[in-house]
Amino acid sequence: MNTNRKITSTWLLWPALFMLVAFFLIPTLDILRASVYDPEFTTKHFVKLFGSNVYLEILWRTIRLSLIVSLICAVIAYPVSYFIVLRPRKQQIFFLFLVFIPLWMSVLIRSYAWMVVLGREGLINAIMIGLGFTDQPVKMLFTTGAVYIAMVQILLPIQIVTCYSAMSEIDFDLMRAARILGAKPWQAIRRVFLPLSLDGTVTGAIIVFMLSMGFFITPALVGGRKDIMMANLIEFQVNQLNWGFAAAISIVLLIATVISVFIIKRLAKTLTRRLVGGGSA
Amino acid sequence: MNKKPFNLSKLILTGYFFVVILYLVFPIFIVIPISFSNNPFLRFPPSNLGVFWYETYFSDSGWVEATLLSLKVALLACAISTLVGTMAVLVLERKALRSKNLLTYFITSPIIVPHIFISLGMFIFAIRLGIEDNAITLAFAHATIAFPFVVLIVGASHRQLDPTFERAARVLGAGPVRAFFSAAFPSLLPGIVAAAVFSFFVSFDELIIAEFMMSGQQTLPMRIWADLKLEMRPTIAAVSSILIVASIIGMGAAEILRRRSVNMSNN
Repeated sequence: MNTNRKITSTWLLWPALFMLVAFFLIPTLDILRASVYDPEFTTKHFVKLFGSNVYLEILWRTIRLSLIVSLICAVIAYPVSYFIVLRPRKQQIFFLFLVFIPLWMSVLIRSYAWMVVLGREGLINAIMIGLGFTDQPVKMLFTTGAVYIAMVQILLPIQIVTCYSAMSEIDFDLMRAARILGAKPWQAIRRVFLPLSLDGTVTGAIIVFMLSMGFFITPALVGGRKDIMMANLIEFQVNQLNWGFAAAISIVLLIATVISVFIIKRLAKTLTRRLVGGGSA
Repeated sequence: MNKKPFNLSKLILTGYFFVVILYLVFPIFIVIPISFSNNPFLRFPPSNLGVFWYETYFSDSGWVEATLLSLKVALLACAISTLVGTMAVLVLERKALRSKNLLTYFITSPIIVPHIFISLGMFIFAIRLGIEDNAITLAFAHATIAFPFVVLIVGASHRQLDPTFERAARVLGAGPVRAFFSAAFPSLLPGIVAAAVFSFFVSFDELIIAEFMMSGQQTLPMRIWADLKLEMRPTIAAVSSILIVASIIGMGAAEILRRRSVNMSNN
């Protein structure tokens, strides 16, 4: 008897593969087909998309907003992760727990919460009027600013956690070793801590960017009419029963996401290398 | 090495941390006081305290049915994704497959692709087969987006397992199935439960797939969405408050279980 044998039969993988093929792979192919057959082969949906300034502007707005959101998240999260990583182990768990709380709430409810905070009769206006800063409610809800505030709040925990886990893997003995070997404190940070933690930051920023590209609920609820994104456009076209056009937009969104991620990775690599000064540790 | 350069920077960093935490957490809890106002409109500060909007929620059959449908779909989706995901982990983590990297990529790819893209694809697919507007189809669709997370979470606790226990059980004469359930499964259980809770909420909170697929019935997020677009009635504050408390309890329990599983294998 071979006692090393455990239950590992490959059939255990079949349900997973079946589900992925049925509910992910075939639907993806369905989108591809719907975008170019209507019912005969046609490129009219793509021609319509790229021939209109309105659609191209929405595409560019989506990319720009996602880039800015991921950049803001990266900048805010870095010191937060650094703070957590410097704490003793028990405290780290507690602080991460605090960061995790909003991550457990549905995006719908978190967006609604921002409506409550930023609305005409919302919390901030009530405070400002109460303190006499203004006598008219200030319009904050249904603006681009509101979309940024809400999206950063929704995506920030993901960035913090990704950045933290990269930082927590850094061997602080390595920095001590660098110091003993005569490196100045700044050199030790620049050569050891910075490159490794920046890797985590870039990974987090890419995840945040990809999630932002598909954002739908938040722009629709807290943004104005001028803040609709690609996902909102897709939903609108589906409701108008223009599935073929919706499929074409989805494909452009996916390709735009992949290309952007590729460019971000490239840029980040060059920037990190320049910042660190030559090869990384 | 002086670990603390000077205390001022440490103070600033601590202050900064708590400002960010406030920004992350406070908008969520602001919903709760709003839900206890009896005003017909959303207004700050809440006056006229009472549970009027909770009564409205529980007495409106539309809200109750939407909640029940979401519970049903989420339970089914959670069962499917947890079972399918855990089974996949047993192969991915144990077998030396040549195409393992490719398989892992494929299995986790639903996380990476924009949510709206998958939603549209599933919708077109369901229409083609004539299985749209069906709670079971919706549960499978939700299970598909949830199960990559199950693979990640259960996979992580599987990597903490000590394989010698299972081998010992086999040496003592247990069959492979029994060896697994008596030696490995108990240590995997906390991870599995955490993954199940997580996938429950993935399904329970999901809006877009449901919005595309369901036309006859409404899930809870669909109902909230429809109400939010019309008017911001405080019923939603009541519903949100219930969900906020439920999420905290559910995820808190899952987190404790996950921690326990990691600690258990570390000791």
